[in-house]
Amino acid sequence: MDAQLVVIIAGAVLVAAIIGSLLIMRGYSGKFTFDTKNGTKPKASEGEGNTQGLAYKGRFTLLAVGVGAMFATLISKLWSMQMVSSDYYDELAVSNRTRTVTTSAPRGRILDRNGVELVRNRASLAVTAYRDLADDPVLVRHLANVLGMPYVAVRRNIQDNTEGAQAQHTIATDVRRSTVAYIQEHAGEFTGVYVADRTEREYPYGTLACHVLGYTGTITSEQLQEQEEAEQTEGSIEYRSGDVVGQAGVESRYERLLQGIRGEQTVTIDASGNVTGQVGEVPARAGSDIRLTIDVNIQKACEDGLAYAIEVAHRAGYGNAQCGACVCLDCTNGEILGMASAPTFDPSVFVGGVSSDIWSQLNSEESQNPLLNRAVGGQYMSASTIKAFSALAGLEYGIYSSSRTTNCTGWWTGNGEAYGKYCWNHSGHGPLNLRNGIVYSCDPVFYDIGHDFYYDEENPEGLQEMFRRWGLGSKTGVDLPSEASGRVPDAEWKNEYFSSYSDEDRAWNPGDMTNIVIGQGDILVTPLQMATGYGGIAMNGLEYTPHVFLSAVARDGEGDAYLYNESGTKERLTAEVNDQSELDLVHDALEGVIYEETPSTTAHFTNLPVRVAGKTGTGEKSGEDPYSWFIVYAPADDPKYVVASLVEQGGYGATTSLHAVRHVLGVIYDSPDDAAVSFSDTTR
Amino acid sequence: MPAGFHAAPRGKDSLSRVNKTLSSARSSFRSQVHLGVLIAWVGLLLFGTVVIWTASLSIADASFSRHLLGIGIGVVLAFLTWRFVDFSNLQNLSTVLLVINIVLVFLPNVPGLQYSAMGMTGWIRIPLINLTFQPVELVKVVTIFFMSALGAQYHGKIDTLRDYVKLCGMLAIPFACVIIQGDLGSGLVVFVSGAIVIMMSGARKEWVLMTLALIIGLVSLMLATDSIIDGVLGDSRSFIKNYQMNRLLVFLDPEADTSGAGYNLQQSLIAVGSGGFFGKGIGNATQSTSGFLPEAHTDFVFALLCETFGFAGAFVLLALFALLMFSTIRIAIKCESLFYRLVCVGFVGMWLFQIFENIGMCIGLMPITGIPLPFISFGSSSMIVQCLIIGIIQSIWRRRGAR
Repeated sequence: MDAQLVVIIAGAVLVAAIIGSLLIMRGYSGKFTFDTKNGTKPKASEGEGNTQGLAYKGRFTLLAVGVGAMFATLISKLWSMQMVSSDYYDELAVSNRTRTVTTSAPRGRILDRNGVELVRNRASLAVTAYRDLADDPVLVRHLANVLGMPYVAVRRNIQDNTEGAQAQHTIATDVRRSTVAYIQEHAGEFTGVYVADRTEREYPYGTLACHVLGYTGTITSEQLQEQEEAEQTEGSIEYRSGDVVGQAGVESRYERLLQGIRGEQTVTIDASGNVTGQVGEVPARAGSDIRLTIDVNIQKACEDGLAYAIEVAHRAGYGNAQCGACVCLDCTNGEILGMASAPTFDPSVFVGGVSSDIWSQLNSEESQNPLLNRAVGGQYMSASTIKAFSALAGLEYGIYSSSRTTNCTGWWTGNGEAYGKYCWNHSGHGPLNLRNGIVYSCDPVFYDIGHDFYYDEENPEGLQEMFRRWGLGSKTGVDLPSEASGRVPDAEWKNEYFSSYSDEDRAWNPGDMTNIVIGQGDILVTPLQMATGYGGIAMNGLEYTPHVFLSAVARDGEGDAYLYNESGTKERLTAEVNDQSELDLVHDALEGVIYEETPSTTAHFTNLPVRVAGKTGTGEKSGEDPYSWFIVYAPADDPKYVVASLVEQGGYGATTSLHAVRHVLGVIYDSPDDAAVSFSDTTR
Repeated sequence: MPAGFHAAPRGKDSLSRVNKTLSSARSSFRSQVHLGVLIAWVGLLLFGTVVIWTASLSIADASFSRHLLGIGIGVVLAFLTWRFVDFSNLQNLSTVLLVINIVLVFLPNVPGLQYSAMGMTGWIRIPLINLTFQPVELVKVVTIFFMSALGAQYHGKIDTLRDYVKLCGMLAIPFACVIIQGDLGSGLVVFVSGAIVIMMSGARKEWVLMTLALIIGLVSLMLATDSIIDGVLGDSRSFIKNYQMNRLLVFLDPEADTSGAGYNLQQSLIAVGSGGFFGKGIGNATQSTSGFLPEAHTDFVFALLCETFGFAGAFVLLALFALLMFSTIRIAIKCESLFYRLVCVGFVGMWLFQIFENIGMCIGLMPITGIPLPFISFGSSSMIVQCLIIGIIQSIWRRRGAR
């Protein structure tokens, strides 16, 4: 009531002014006499009223002046409004009668390398409301009945703030057309309830490639904040609260391509908000379709193989096996043909907003973090699969020549009797050279390499240098989010990592070396890193950056708008090879792993049309079952495919992961594994 | 020629003017009909017709034929009044006028005549012919006659304070009656026109100023106590409800509340301002034709006019009003009879307030009240009574020589 106060004060001031003027003008009472011709007594002496003519004139002049003043006031105000400020009011009038309506643009589809739809769109009707609708329990109950949902669920969805407090909250998606029609017909009863025409993501293959594809979700307030802080460039997409954006995988990584540009319609409306016409339109532009390097068949093979490997692990008695990864890539260009991670999730639960129950379940320890893409984000000790690189290090730095032999007795005491270590084969392999050390995965051969590196004066960390040269310990640069970089431990790292321990405990010791040389201890790699590294070995040192993006499809649907890295490939690194003969030794040894080590392993590969080279691995983690590794490349003489598999707590490499890899190769070469599953193969 | 015409003139000036008047047929016409008032009236009627026709294109309530019917009745009434009615006898019938006035004010409360539609009150339905009418429009005219009849008794000079207070008290009767009926706008019209009649009757300046101070003081006091009551006992007990207060005060800051009380005003300001110099033209006035401007054909018709015809149109309208009012003042000056003078002055006062209030509210100078714009607003009651007033003025002009 401030305005009221102003009026009261103004009134008081006016009264004071009038009384004041009255006091000043005392004694001039005769001045305004209205004297007519036949008036009683003509006033003779004072002021302007002393003659008849002037008396008229004074009175009427006053009235005329009053009328004139009124017109002058009105005209001047009209002048200021219509001539001076006309543009301002004109703008107001325009904004009054026009509204800008945005039309949503569908996201681009995601296709496999042959154009098979992995993610597509479908139309969906959603019912939304602002948060304050929850304050009206009667309406919410009515709405719940109409939607056929429990009252509590409707209420919770209205109050759920994950889409932003000010945004319209989604109550239900995929609402039936008849239900929507009912709501729209009874708009009067459902004030504050809105129907939104949306396109939703649809996954024709269900959970297939879920980790690569990722999922979409409503833009978070953090992401909006980020956009505000980032500099706006020409043509960039302007996000608004409530927009659906990629939140993981390819959906997130290639968000800029997939996201369409919303259209705008300028419509004229009347006072009740009814649209009366359209004055302008910027049509919505759908997002680009993108093709992935994934081949839907190989992807399926990776996932089936991994599932089969886990099943085999269970049959072999490793009941804890639940998680794992399986990657298949083309080592000649870095294209990822299949990438599986277990356990999987269903990306369609994110459509229209994920419920908090499912979200917390997806992130819980008990369900093993299904959202994690273990192929790029899972870090594991590499186990014996690293021996290929250890061997190259031993050869190059002159630590372990191709002619040197180690006599394996099953118990190695190179670091002293107190620090004696078993070979995995406790009964011993007998004398072995480096090649056969790889073939039989004999640990003492590599213990000698680790031990000798430790005491080598020139290159005490030559082993780690070799690992890094082949790309371990650094990200592969794959075009998927949340990649882990792994870890190649050395003296400096240990000193820093255990900074709270005593100097003695932090010191790099021979035991650390003999651990990492066989891929145990503190070394960490990702399945994709190992696959890329083996691709490098197969390609004589050349490693391509692995990628899942093949091309963006041109808008007319014909041909590609552009390719990954413009040329389709990107070289990650070229590992320097000291002497080709050293690499040849490793190639030969890796082939030997498949065809010489044990007959039961060999039996799985004999019916393939190509020869295969590879390595098993069994990671040992105290308190858990062994981690099962198997990595191959094929054909051995002209490598193209690299397949790497890991099963957490899956047992020995040749027991479990072998089956995942073999299944993928079987699909690629159309020759299924016909050998019986053997649980006795404990080769590492 | 009126009978009293030859007897009336005194002095040389008047006599020569009469001789001149009689000299030709053309000047004979001009002595019968005041040309300025006629031109202004016809101009306003034509302009109003165009404006209401414009409004009728998009507003269903604005029936063009009903507007024409109102003009038709008004013109006939004006002609008959001019031709046959001599009002000079009314100055001796002040008591009768007061009675008529009170009857008129309370006519809408008579059960048989009561007519209410869409929550409006103050209407009567005349039986048999089934015509609805707002008697308050007529109350304005009768009050002016009543006050002029009283004022004329003092021969141009009110000598005693007692007489002045008596006059003010007499004006308070119709004013209070109209206010009781809940029509603040018309009440203010009655009050302002009556007050001007009193002032022109020869009231002393000090008294007038003192009365003004008293009124302002009382209103301020009432607002102050009202806001205290409002604060202590709540809105439901106070004399003036919050919405009424908001409506009165919103013109101080029209953009403060553009959806509630300020909405009408804001829309009206936009309509007027966006008109520019020549306006948007017929049919392009989006504010008034798309329903943003409420009451675009009645109370806010000036905003519609401004949006359609711009500053130029508004200027023409104001020029016509100015011609009408200055001509009426001129007639008042030319009248021999003090009663006639006061009647003319009363009408000028009435127009002064109605025009200033109506246009002022459209452009944010005055609070919003429901007063029609004479000759322009859609509404037969106002139109017929305004035409009747023209007839009265012309009749007075015709009989200006009478005493």
